[in-house]
Amino acid sequence: MSEQLSAEATQARPGEARCPGEPSTQEIIARDRVPAPDWVRSESYEFLGDEDISKDRYITPDFAALEYEKLWTCTWQFACREEHIPEEGDYYVYDLGYHSFIVTRVAGGAIKAYYNACLHRGTKLKPSGTEGYTTEFKCPFHGWSWHLDGSLKQSVCDWDFPHVKASEFSLPQVRVETAGGCVFINMDQDAPSLDEYLGPEFLEHLHAWGLEDRYVYCHVAKVIPANWKLTMEAFMEAYHVIETHPQVAVSNADANSQYDTYGEHVNRFISSLGVLSPHLKGQYTEQDILDQFTLGDASVLGEVDRTLKEGESARQRMADTLRQMFEQGTNTDLSKVSDAELLDCFSYTVFPNTFLFAGISLPMIYRFRPVRGDHRKCLYEVLFLRPVPVDGARPEPAEVIRLDEGQSFTEAEGMDPGFGVILDQDTENLLLQQEGLEASAKPGITLGNYQEIRVRHFEQAVDRYVSS
Amino acid sequence: MSSEFTRFCPAAEVPPGGRKHAKIDGTWVLVCNASDRLFAVSGICSHQEKPLFTGRVRHCKITCPVHGARFDLETGEALDLPATRPIPVYPVRVVDDWIEVCLGQAE
Repeated sequence: MSEQLSAEATQARPGEARCPGEPSTQEIIARDRVPAPDWVRSESYEFLGDEDISKDRYITPDFAALEYEKLWTCTWQFACREEHIPEEGDYYVYDLGYHSFIVTRVAGGAIKAYYNACLHRGTKLKPSGTEGYTTEFKCPFHGWSWHLDGSLKQSVCDWDFPHVKASEFSLPQVRVETAGGCVFINMDQDAPSLDEYLGPEFLEHLHAWGLEDRYVYCHVAKVIPANWKLTMEAFMEAYHVIETHPQVAVSNADANSQYDTYGEHVNRFISSLGVLSPHLKGQYTEQDILDQFTLGDASVLGEVDRTLKEGESARQRMADTLRQMFEQGTNTDLSKVSDAELLDCFSYTVFPNTFLFAGISLPMIYRFRPVRGDHRKCLYEVLFLRPVPVDGARPEPAEVIRLDEGQSFTEAEGMDPGFGVILDQDTENLLLQQEGLEASAKPGITLGNYQEIRVRHFEQAVDRYVSS
Repeated sequence: MSSEFTRFCPAAEVPPGGRKHAKIDGTWVLVCNASDRLFAVSGICSHQEKPLFTGRVRHCKITCPVHGARFDLETGEALDLPATRPIPVYPVRVVDDWIEVCLGQAE
């Protein structure tokens, strides 16, 4: 493609231009042998303006303080998977900057979440970043304890605390709701319900995926030297693929990926795989595309025949092969799953800090959290999900592998090496971007109207919360 | 302390996923059957001397049910606060369908 703006792009109304001379994502998917469901075969793009996005949000501690005050306290956040706390007494500590919550399973299977602090002198009841099983929440300092349901169990030497009334000393709670096997919490008692927050259209998508029937088979965490929003935005478009991931572009319809927004809190892209990048038109054969296809979960593939027959497309071969290999490798039934769901990257942002992926070959959840006291760092987590085996018990969720800042994602056990390289490439530029924004003479960032609509949609939500 | 193994319990009493605690010569020992192998560790947390008996075992690590410290069942290493000191781990074996533990070789 030309680096000059095409005549078509300049003549269309803002946001209407699409990659010229190339099939749309919907046209690519329409050619597939096993047709895609409705949630794939729809579009929901809306032009949201073309003004620059101010850079203070990425580089100032003041903006981070505003976020702590107005954004994190009012949004639904993915705290853990239900599988992390399957039994009564299981708990998972969800930390967000200075905030910390104990998410726990109580009698009858309900889930509750408490502020993680003793009501006596404030000690955290469970250490940050941990999970386990308990019969009570007992402070390690003086031994005050609370029942799983949050009611006060014991204040030691209660003769000395006549002013403490048990009825007023239950652990304060935050709201809890679940969707797709994920537990969400919200500090705002007046916030809309999770369903209302996510919106009916996205909920329809989510319910179709059956994420509750998957389990975490690999969980990797790494601190990234960049603001949490900047880090998230590195994953919101396929526009960067040709420069950042040249090895992927050969089998990724990057410039003709599809971008959609849903309400105020959810957006997505669909990026088709097994198709040549428009940037590389005429430079590669279908066989080349097949040869360079990279997967997020390639471990199940084993030895695959990668020689195309005359007239056969790389995309269809990959879909057929993936269906067979994933069924064998993970002991699951994928006969009704479309080619697009097997192959393509369906990346959804759930505001503020989670990505859910719907596909089979790229079955991830991403989570991004600011590092306490440092607006220039965030904790990035990748959770790979697999369908629960059809004839067996649900495997335990994977233990978190914590990488040092200098380590490669390829070093994480269970991470496909090819996908690890992609994550390295995605995150290697972020320190440069963080420092570049700090060094720049320009007060904001400039976004493409279509390919970067998710960034704009996301930042508009940020603005709504911090200015509320 | 003796370097001899002591009979702990019949092997059938600690099936896969199971655990059992008992005293050997006055020392609380916890035997866990996790990930297709047996582990024998101190039954007492190094943090504030609370029993580890009902702690959740996942991925060959045990979490103290009282304050949440986590330990590696193989090495005894303290992996999470509030513990900073390891717990003793003991050689364990099965002889004639009995689990045997050797306290004398705690690492």
